[in-house]
Amino acid sequence: MTEHAGMSGLLEGTVAIVTGAGQGVGEGIAAALAAAGAGVVIAARRPDNGEPAAEAIRAQGGQALFCRCDVTRRADVDAAVSAALEQWGRLDLVVHNAVSPPGPPRPIQEIDDETIALQIATSTTAVFHCAQAAFDELRANGGSLILLTSPSGIEGSGHLPLYGAVKGAQRGLLKSLAREWGPHGVRVNAIAPVAWTPAMDTATAANPTLEARLLGRTPLGRIGDPTTDIGPVAVFLASELSRHMTGQTLAVDGGRYLGL
Amino acid sequence: MTPQTTRTALVVGSGDPADSVGVGLVAAGWSLLRLGDDLINDDTVAAAFPTLEHLDLVVHARYPPLCRQRMELTDLTAEQWHAACDEPLEAGIRLARAAYEPLRAAGGTIVYLVPLMASAGGDGFAPFAGAAEGLRVLAKSLAKTWGTDDIRVHAITLDPSAFLAPTDAAGMAEANSLHDPPLGRVPDLSDEVSLVVDALTTNAFAALTGASLVVDGGLWMPG
Repeated sequence: MTEHAGMSGLLEGTVAIVTGAGQGVGEGIAAALAAAGAGVVIAARRPDNGEPAAEAIRAQGGQALFCRCDVTRRADVDAAVSAALEQWGRLDLVVHNAVSPPGPPRPIQEIDDETIALQIATSTTAVFHCAQAAFDELRANGGSLILLTSPSGIEGSGHLPLYGAVKGAQRGLLKSLAREWGPHGVRVNAIAPVAWTPAMDTATAANPTLEARLLGRTPLGRIGDPTTDIGPVAVFLASELSRHMTGQTLAVDGGRYLGL
Repeated sequence: MTPQTTRTALVVGSGDPADSVGVGLVAAGWSLLRLGDDLINDDTVAAAFPTLEHLDLVVHARYPPLCRQRMELTDLTAEQWHAACDEPLEAGIRLARAAYEPLRAAGGTIVYLVPLMASAGGDGFAPFAGAAEGLRVLAKSLAKTWGTDDIRVHAITLDPSAFLAPTDAAGMAEANSLHDPPLGRVPDLSDEVSLVVDALTTNAFAALTGASLVVDGGLWMPG
């Protein structure tokens, strides 16, 4: 398995749910959590990528199972929590990464009602579902919730204004939940990544100059890898190493966004 | 920012801060249109103002009562969550969409009024903070998209007392600051906040867009 020095065993005995873990950043985070010793529920909408993501972890000696999960449906999120409890008897971490694809760049006046509703459902309604479904277990285990937001949720996005709005909304939620759940010993943090994902592949294919422009604005000179660049930060936020951190957003983007 | 004979402002939201800011804008010479907490979409805005061709200013402060009610997330029903977070966020996005053409016609300005909890978080106000922070960031996105249309977009963060019951507002202020407002008071909505909104529409601020101002007497000093 892909391991980082000092991270092996950090999450031994813990159990995580990662939504949208069938591909991209979610898949990379799930792999990193498993490499650090966590049992991982791959909560994904599509079995055709969720099952292989779980199998890949198992093939590397990790523990993972796939649970079909549409995060806009509370019953599906409850089922993911139940799957964790049935398999491992506990739940310590929920990583909410799933989001409806933002689609091509469009100004707000050209975005239809259905798209608005779906982006909100996967971004804010889904946080409600994940948080409420997992709270009892997280409280019992001193666990944490990690939201995958975006630099667009901090600085806005001229190309994807709706995406920026819903990702910004997640930051308002995480800070509030950090305050609300701190007294219960539950931490809530966020990661704002820029990484190679299927969505990034699509965006760069549609816009041939995008990659060069992005790299030109990234001090570290490369776009992140979901497993080896983003995953370890999730391991850190899930582990005791970050036990005094809550309500924070870590931009994991090679230094592209420096406005915090 | 083309000078108009009569400047027209649409203020959206029931109660304060919308009511008081509207009063201040009228005192400053604005012609005022009002929408409350009604459903917002292209059709309702067009139906409310069928002859509306240009808008110099839109002020958004539409946060229905359930947003402003202190509730632990774990106690919320799905319906309460929708009413307190998803629906207000969606309405604020739809307002931008509906206001685009009238704002473009006038070279206008749209201002989102948000509570401190949006960017600072609020114990018991997660849905409100989520919706409002989404709209604060939306303002930055709109500013980037609409700059070439000569539309300016800003957000103004206000003290919690502009939105919440006094006890809840005091709790939020206490949770976010170890000091009282340096100016000795939180700003008056009709006499002071409305002047800031008005000023943002003038040529003095023609080079400003995407600003996220905090107008709270210095209670919170982020960054």
